[in-house]
Amino acid sequence: MSSFNQMFQRFSKSFPKGSIIFCEYEPGDNFYLIQSGRVKIVKIIGEIEKTLDILNPGEIFGEMAILEEAPRSATTIAMDKVQALEFNRANFEIIMRGNPQIALKLMKLFIKRIYDQKRRFMILTLDDIEAKVADVFLMLAEKESQVARESDTIEFKTSIDDIAHWAGIPPAECRNVINHFSQQRRVELYSDRIVVKNINDFDRFVKSRRKTKE
Amino acid sequence: MGDKVFILNSGKVSLNYEDIETGQEIHDLVKTGEFFGVKSALGRFVREETAVVLADSTVVAFSVPEFEQLVIKNSRVVLKMLKVFSNQLRRIQKQVQNLIYAEEHINPEKGLFSIGEYYLNNKAYDQAIYAFKRYLVYYPSGASSSEAIKNIETAESYLQKYGSGQGPDLSPPAAQPIEADKPQKTKELSDIAQSYYKAVSLISQEKYDDAYNEFKAIVNSSDDQEYISKSQYEMGRCLFYVKKYDNCIRLFTTWIQKYPKHPDLKDALYFIANSHEAMANKDKAISIYKKVLALTPESESLYPKARKALRKLEGEKA
Repeated sequence: MSSFNQMFQRFSKSFPKGSIIFCEYEPGDNFYLIQSGRVKIVKIIGEIEKTLDILNPGEIFGEMAILEEAPRSATTIAMDKVQALEFNRANFEIIMRGNPQIALKLMKLFIKRIYDQKRRFMILTLDDIEAKVADVFLMLAEKESQVARESDTIEFKTSIDDIAHWAGIPPAECRNVINHFSQQRRVELYSDRIVVKNINDFDRFVKSRRKTKE
Repeated sequence: MGDKVFILNSGKVSLNYEDIETGQEIHDLVKTGEFFGVKSALGRFVREETAVVLADSTVVAFSVPEFEQLVIKNSRVVLKMLKVFSNQLRRIQKQVQNLIYAEEHINPEKGLFSIGEYYLNNKAYDQAIYAFKRYLVYYPSGASSSEAIKNIETAESYLQKYGSGQGPDLSPPAAQPIEADKPQKTKELSDIAQSYYKAVSLISQEKYDDAYNEFKAIVNSSDDQEYISKSQYEMGRCLFYVKKYDNCIRLFTTWIQKYPKHPDLKDALYFIANSHEAMANKDKAISIYKKVLALTPESESLYPKARKALRKLEGEKA
């Protein structure tokens, strides 16, 4: 990696601590590889700045810019003094040829994104709104599946707004569904988390709804 | 779950899977020399395709580390795969976007400006300056460009004068953290709250008829139960003050039935008792004052008021 850094030093840019690297809604065709420092990815939802991720040296961000000319979907802020290599569409291929290690990393990132989007697609194509919400919980549970599960009860550090976002439904409707689940004692709703009492029950429920559709 | 990547040496292999959009079964033939099973192996996902051997075939199987070593040495392969995957990603993203068109599309110009506003209101002046400056780069004659310039000046002077995170509140509601899960409702609420407090101030100005009409408008136009119940309660008070005791009793009686657990329940009962007293229904007034006393802790200011009224009535009776 260090020889690589030397090779591409001319692409290296420095960002002071606390500065914005790029801003949500900004057009942009650069993407970045962090050399040092940490980068926070945030999105302003309503009146709240929500941290989506914190990236460390060696990680890539802004890569969607090389795929499409859409505005940035989140804001990135330097948490420390950040040194990062800045690439664009024009020098992308040169850089990937020069360092397949990064290309491989990017490939894995794309694979993960494709999977996540496919999973999201499955949720969105359910007709039943309750099944959509239940399926979001299943998706979140799958993401945590590395941890051996000891019981059918799973605690999610998530909010109704997040669930609504994933399910592609208005937050008010999502709240109704979750309240209904809560009345049925299938979930417990807390201010900072939602507990699903029996994830297998949701699994069966979603499967049955998916089948009747076909 | 897959942990191997394959390359087809010779023969005929088909990848069978269901199209997620149409549910149609798709059969893709693998070309010789082509890799397959890459995504599920590298991503450690459940296999999404079934690889069917259609004619005698030879394949080479790689473990993930072996595959990684191979592609790192061969940038042509990895670039080709990147292109394939980026196309797939673009396609699935478009499919997802088509499904969630319902989600509001914020125009990027407004969006960028609102990010600047958010940071300015939260006294993150550096971030605000960045966002507004970018706004001016992309939209130099945009709808909010003069405001952006003004905001940059404000942010720069506050940054100098007070420093980051300090300085006067520019927009109190945004500067305070609000419960994350209902930003929209908060905005709506503040409108209702505004009309509600406006009407309350009319009561204190003794403009009871105007206040009554304001509260009635809130009840009719809002669907916020909290403000509806509060406003109806205040309507009862107005009726009492304009000496429409009959109407006052009727309104509070219905109100109590509707909100039997409302914290202002005992106050409502007090107004009913007071109205009965004013109409010289002594017995009714006495029994309701007793109820008020039973419900009210002695520490509350309502308690001595009700006790005094009760004693007076009982004294008159005696």
